[in-house]
Amino acid sequence: MEVEGKGGEAGTTTTATRRFALPVDAENKSTTFRLFSVAKPHMRAFHLSWFQFFCCFVSTFAAPPLLPIIRENLNLTATDIGNAGIASVSGSVFARIVMGTACDLFGPRLASAALTLSTAPAVYFTAGIKSPIGFIMVRFFAGFSLATFVSTQFWMSSMFSGPVVGSANGIAAGWGNLGGGATQLIMPIVFSLIRRMGATKFTAWRIAFFIPGLFQTLSAFAVLLFGQDLPDGDYWAMHKSGEREKDDVGKVISNGISNYRGWITALAYGYCFGVELTIDNIIAEYFFDRFHLNLQTAGIIAASFGLANFFARPGGGIFSDLMARRFGMRGRLWAWWIVQTLGGVLCAFLGQIHSLTWSIVVMLIFSVFVQAACGLTFGVVPFISRRSLGVISGMTGAGGNVGAVLTQLIFFKGSTYSRETGITLMGIMSIACSLPICFIYFPQWGGMFCGPSSKKVTEEDYYLAEWSSKEKAKNLHLASQKFAETSVSERGRASTHPQT
Amino acid sequence: MMAKDHTLYKDLTCTHFFHQKSIFLLPKFPNSTMTIHTLLFVSLLIFSFIESSRGGNKDKFFTELQNSLEVTAKPVQDGLVLEAGKDMVTIKWKLKSSAKVDADDTFKKIQVKLCYAPISQVDRPWRKTHNELFKDKTCPHEIVSKSYDKTPQSLDWTVDLDIPTGTYFVRAYGIDGDGQEVAYGQSSDEGRKKNLFSVQAISGGHVSLDIASILFSIFSVVSLLVFFVKEKKKAKLEQRE
Repeated sequence: MEVEGKGGEAGTTTTATRRFALPVDAENKSTTFRLFSVAKPHMRAFHLSWFQFFCCFVSTFAAPPLLPIIRENLNLTATDIGNAGIASVSGSVFARIVMGTACDLFGPRLASAALTLSTAPAVYFTAGIKSPIGFIMVRFFAGFSLATFVSTQFWMSSMFSGPVVGSANGIAAGWGNLGGGATQLIMPIVFSLIRRMGATKFTAWRIAFFIPGLFQTLSAFAVLLFGQDLPDGDYWAMHKSGEREKDDVGKVISNGISNYRGWITALAYGYCFGVELTIDNIIAEYFFDRFHLNLQTAGIIAASFGLANFFARPGGGIFSDLMARRFGMRGRLWAWWIVQTLGGVLCAFLGQIHSLTWSIVVMLIFSVFVQAACGLTFGVVPFISRRSLGVISGMTGAGGNVGAVLTQLIFFKGSTYSRETGITLMGIMSIACSLPICFIYFPQWGGMFCGPSSKKVTEEDYYLAEWSSKEKAKNLHLASQKFAETSVSERGRASTHPQT
Repeated sequence: MMAKDHTLYKDLTCTHFFHQKSIFLLPKFPNSTMTIHTLLFVSLLIFSFIESSRGGNKDKFFTELQNSLEVTAKPVQDGLVLEAGKDMVTIKWKLKSSAKVDADDTFKKIQVKLCYAPISQVDRPWRKTHNELFKDKTCPHEIVSKSYDKTPQSLDWTVDLDIPTGTYFVRAYGIDGDGQEVAYGQSSDEGRKKNLFSVQAISGGHVSLDIASILFSIFSVVSLLVFFVKEKKKAKLEQRE
């Protein structure tokens, strides 16, 4: 579907030797987002990126829908299953933090494909495991691949310009997360097909794992063969020719971790995305055991949770942008807090429901709220810091996984709590851990309960404060300056600041 | 600034991804997505109605059943751990001599099942024993289900291929014309600690699977290295230009 947008400052698109299919800005980043195009390099990067992330999600969560079979084959206990669930999301805590730097050094294309190809063996080796330890190990290593989230966001931010980058990021992340739902459908279907071809139960599930493994490998090949790091070319070539400037890594990191807002977003994301990951791990088994359904039916229900990501997460991002147009950053924060808290309330309800039909209904509504909250989180994150955007994004992303680890450790390990009690308690913890959003305060825009500072702090003041006067003398701060100018839109329509 | 925002949303409207009029509502989603989601939702409701309308016998408790059947289960080869798919168990059942003579008049069917001993239920809530028969997960594996014969019965049963590793006993349910359990008997005692036998499951693995895993993994890693080398060469070439 090709539609001409009004385009950016550069109008159409030619630099001396290059012509782009989409209108671009001064950095050759696309100013429009055309979903049904695969035009090189922008939209192609989008489709390669979300599909690779999707495949990684499918592989990471391929085991949960088949757990009723796997637990009998490997003689797993509830403790083993809980440990494996924790392992599956804990590897990428570290990997997400490292991925930001890897993208900086090697470019998102190589960094993401390297991760995807090196974790594919974990998926293949799942076919040969014989013990609980083996199960925990393959889930641990396969889970590293979830760090492709960071490369997705990085790549989209390199390809798409300000007004559309939120949508590009939100859709790419949402459609990647879709994999967690799709796998709950795919794996039971693949399993029953293989069984029909004559394999026993305990062999069929093993063969089934080659499917996600192959898709993961092939998606990495596609990224390497058809993708491009930047609109102007690939990273290594450009790095060596000096086209990209470098910042002091130590300063960037210390600037990021000393910003308290990054820690709050990390905690909050841990209780929307973390909840999503936890549910991906436990929901199929929950429906299978509690309501005596068969594997396929439990899989379909579990899938519908993750499939809501198709529109819910992008919707959250778009909703955040909408609120910002009218109410500025304060609107983004309020929307985020309300949606995430409501998600927590619905989660607490879910565990208390005894009927199958109502469980499904509540779960579906809950899925929309929790995934929209993820999208709303990344509506706020880009504004926390300009200099350390990568660090803040990495912290937040990693925080999501930490939330999943903590939740599974406390509520879903072993048999301390029944699954339904665990789900309710997770909802309550989610409500509690969303409260810190109320403490996020931007002096230039305000926070949830406070207006902007009476000292009349401007966006420029806020973003340039990240640079020392020495660095400003070297003109390292120019990108932040540009960003400060465009971020004036976060004041909203009803602005209390005098026009400068 | 405003002009740019306007452009963005107009463009997305043109791609049918976003309806501008719903600015103050949650965004409306494209028609095809709505249809798919509605279909999925409806099919789920249908599934759940089917599932939930099944259980009419939710109220029967295990403790209400008469222990009027006598069941024995002995491995054909004594003292060993039974291998799934290979070894056999001789199962016998009949009405207890201590029971009333006509106690089995109501039995229409006999259902013989393989049940987990308490030791195999530890830390495995999906095998938990519940008093409500509908919820009870102690005996998930059916050995045989046939019409009831008043004469003592015997069966040599080969352990199925999909029986997990664990410790087991055998229980038989007498079922009446309505499909309700009315009586039972088991090869173990009330505490389910005596006369148990152990089964070792098949691994499910094959050498061919292991080889395939290794081959595919090597392929992935090697192709990654190949790509890296190609990239480095390309970068060097472009640098020279």
